Amino acid sequence: MTTLTGVGRLIRFILRRDRVRLTVWIIAISGVTLASAGGLPSIYPDQAAVESYVALFGNNPALVAFAGPGYGFENPNIGLVLVNETQLNGIIALALMSIFLVNRHTRAEEESERAELVRSNVVGRHAPAAAASAVIGGANVVVGAICAVGFVALDYQTSGSLALAASMTSAGLLFAGVAAVVAQITNSGRATLGLSSAVLALAFAIRAVGDVADNGLSWLSPIGWAQAVRAYADERWWTLGLCAVAAAGLVMGAFWLSTRRDLGSGLVPPRPGRPRAPAWMTRPLGLAFRLQRGALIGWTVALGLMGFLYGSIAQDIEQMVEDNQVMADVFERLGGGGLTDSFFAVVMGQLGLMGGAFAISSALRLATEEAVGRAEPILAGTTSRWRWAAGHLAIAALGTIVTMSAAGLGIGISYAAITNDAGQIPRLLGAALVTVPAILVLLGIAVATFGLFPSGARAAWGALALAAGVGFFGELVKLPVWTRQISPFEHVPALPAEDLALLPLVVLTTIAAAAVALGLASFRARDLRAD
Amino acid sequence: MTAAISCKDLVKTFGATRALDGLNLEVVPGEVHGFVGPNGAGKTVTMRIILGLLRRDSGEVTLLGGDPWTDAVRLHRRLAYVPGDTNLWPNLTGGEILDVLGELRGGLDAARRDDLTRRFDLDPRKKARAYSKGNRQKVALVAALASDAELLVLDEPTSGLDPLMEAIFQDCILTARAEGRTVLLSSHILAEVEKICDRVTIIRRGRTVQTGTLTELRHLTRTTISAQTLRPADGLTELPGVHDLQSDGDRVSFDVDGDHLDGVVRHLSGLGLRSLTSHPPTLEELFLRHYGDELGNGDDTEDRRDDGALTR
Repeated sequence: MTTLTGVGRLIRFILRRDRVRLTVWIIAISGVTLASAGGLPSIYPDQAAVESYVALFGNNPALVAFAGPGYGFENPNIGLVLVNETQLNGIIALALMSIFLVNRHTRAEEESERAELVRSNVVGRHAPAAAASAVIGGANVVVGAICAVGFVALDYQTSGSLALAASMTSAGLLFAGVAAVVAQITNSGRATLGLSSAVLALAFAIRAVGDVADNGLSWLSPIGWAQAVRAYADERWWTLGLCAVAAAGLVMGAFWLSTRRDLGSGLVPPRPGRPRAPAWMTRPLGLAFRLQRGALIGWTVALGLMGFLYGSIAQDIEQMVEDNQVMADVFERLGGGGLTDSFFAVVMGQLGLMGGAFAISSALRLATEEAVGRAEPILAGTTSRWRWAAGHLAIAALGTIVTMSAAGLGIGISYAAITNDAGQIPRLLGAALVTVPAILVLLGIAVATFGLFPSGARAAWGALALAAGVGFFGELVKLPVWTRQISPFEHVPALPAEDLALLPLVVLTTIAAAAVALGLASFRARDLRAD
Repeated sequence: MTAAISCKDLVKTFGATRALDGLNLEVVPGEVHGFVGPNGAGKTVTMRIILGLLRRDSGEVTLLGGDPWTDAVRLHRRLAYVPGDTNLWPNLTGGEILDVLGELRGGLDAARRDDLTRRFDLDPRKKARAYSKGNRQKVALVAALASDAELLVLDEPTSGLDPLMEAIFQDCILTARAEGRTVLLSSHILAEVEKICDRVTIIRRGRTVQTGTLTELRHLTRTTISAQTLRPADGLTELPGVHDLQSDGDRVSFDVDGDHLDGVVRHLSGLGLRSLTSHPPTLEELFLRHYGDELGNGDDTEDRRDDGALTR
């Protein structure tokens, strides 16, 4: 078929270009899944523990919404716990991997005009999309295979293990198809990512409602089909066939759509925008806000929703921990106070890390704008380097406060609604906001790397990885206390489980300010980076 | 009169690469100054130093009487810049970007902005991601030309423009000169430099090779002459300054050094001239003269062949 000429060479080219990226996705997803699989038997060592887990999850709508319908809970076994803990996360992770990579090799490639270069050679019309589908499909299969082998090696029952791994792979394939179709319809990489993720979110929400109401609505969601394989509970393999057929249909549909449009354009013509800029946008701060607005809204909504989720399950934590000595020990070590407050303190640390991810990406916008040459025309105007940087950093700092407020309000509102105690809202909002000084330290590190090593500014993510590593594994592998102190989050009073202490917050803020000052002074003294 | 831009013995290194190696450039107020050189000669680096975006290693730079590194913001109020590689925010419209760049430059004339948008046939409602390279270039150009800056610094502003837009651009530059503005224009579109520049500086490998008016440069160089004579034009080869002589019966054509033009023409008229055409060297010819050795250099072509073999 001449429309596929060159597909083999393109596959090798994609593998070469993305050898690191693919490896990271594959290892991260299968690694996290197998780590949970390996840990579960020690947390739920006997039938009684499994039964209390199943009893809790089967009856709590919030947990059902965020884990799955609990097929086979009438005959509890450890495999069902594994499904509940890993399946939905794995499906979402693989779906996101597929969406990001499909976009990267189709729409984003066209947008960068590199696709023209490729297509002008002896390459068939469908070859680039087919090569991308093949590689990304392959990545989904590899993750599934690693997980299946791992589950069996960890002594989970074989057919259930295969079904669980295959359910994640088939959902990943299906969303690769979704992204392939969306890439044909929209006309930018950003829109492709946004619309595909919206489809994923909708599929998630439909099955969440369907699973809670138990009314068959979940059959409208492809995630529901993948879960309906009933891993470790009398498997029904045909539901995975639905995913496979849909994935193949979507990819064929994408090929067909691509014959109905020109290279570089979408099926939906772009709407005309504003011919003039409003006055606020023509100032450094206003422009920075306009450029970061989308990301800021996205992070705020995401953190608010996560907070809401955590708030809604907080009361069940107490019961869950009462039934399980291992988990009770974990929470006891993490802080004094009531179990629920300890849980909140742990959650605040996690949400703080997410806030840190926002702050770093927002501050590193400076490095991006500089590297692609968009800082140049601004700095050749009457904007000083200081004012230009200050605009983006103000958005990063204020955005940190906004996103963490959303997280705190989300937790506060849902927990207040459950306990009928409005006083929880300011209490939990405050607990979320005490993490802001620690986040500002990460922001300061990002500014310092931008000023000192502009070409390696992404190294600032290493600071977040370190803080996350200390937060997640510090207790588990018993790191000595002094090594844990490198994470700024270790110095934040663990509200609401502990009392508020102001001194560490002042010290953290001072360190953050010093790092920002160092970064900006270095930026002022160095060459603007060109290309 | 103080120079609008003055660079003396400018040196800039990036690691082991010596991007500028004692570059000199002087732009006087009110002139359109062409800044010409092959790729990688250091034109963009020079402009970025003039704008205070890069810091010089040594040498002197004066921009509108000030130091561009320490005084950037104050000096930038009086100039407008078009970068060579125009990268715009993909999710903003062309019109929004025009306003953002114009205002951040220190304000732009709304009437002139609308007029230029029309003349350059730019759709301000389109998002920048939908613009072609030429249209992106136009956005940067309109933002600069719509300002009332006394100095325009333009880094290859017409790369990507079609001939019609190029003509409009040249017209805008001539208008700017008539208004008394100063323009520094880098280019390798030589016809354009010939058409609109008062003076030219030619650089190569980070050094100034020549500078002056086009007339001055041509004086230093050769004129091409074709002539038809009654008597055979013997003896031309013995005359000083004659190069590349080709004769075909009673017709001859050759190049002659500017200094020896007079003697050669006298000699020809002694032979009974029947027709005579002469034309001054084009900038292409000047260019080839300065870089010609490189173009014909066997080693260079060898290297290129090697590279090709590697990628295959």
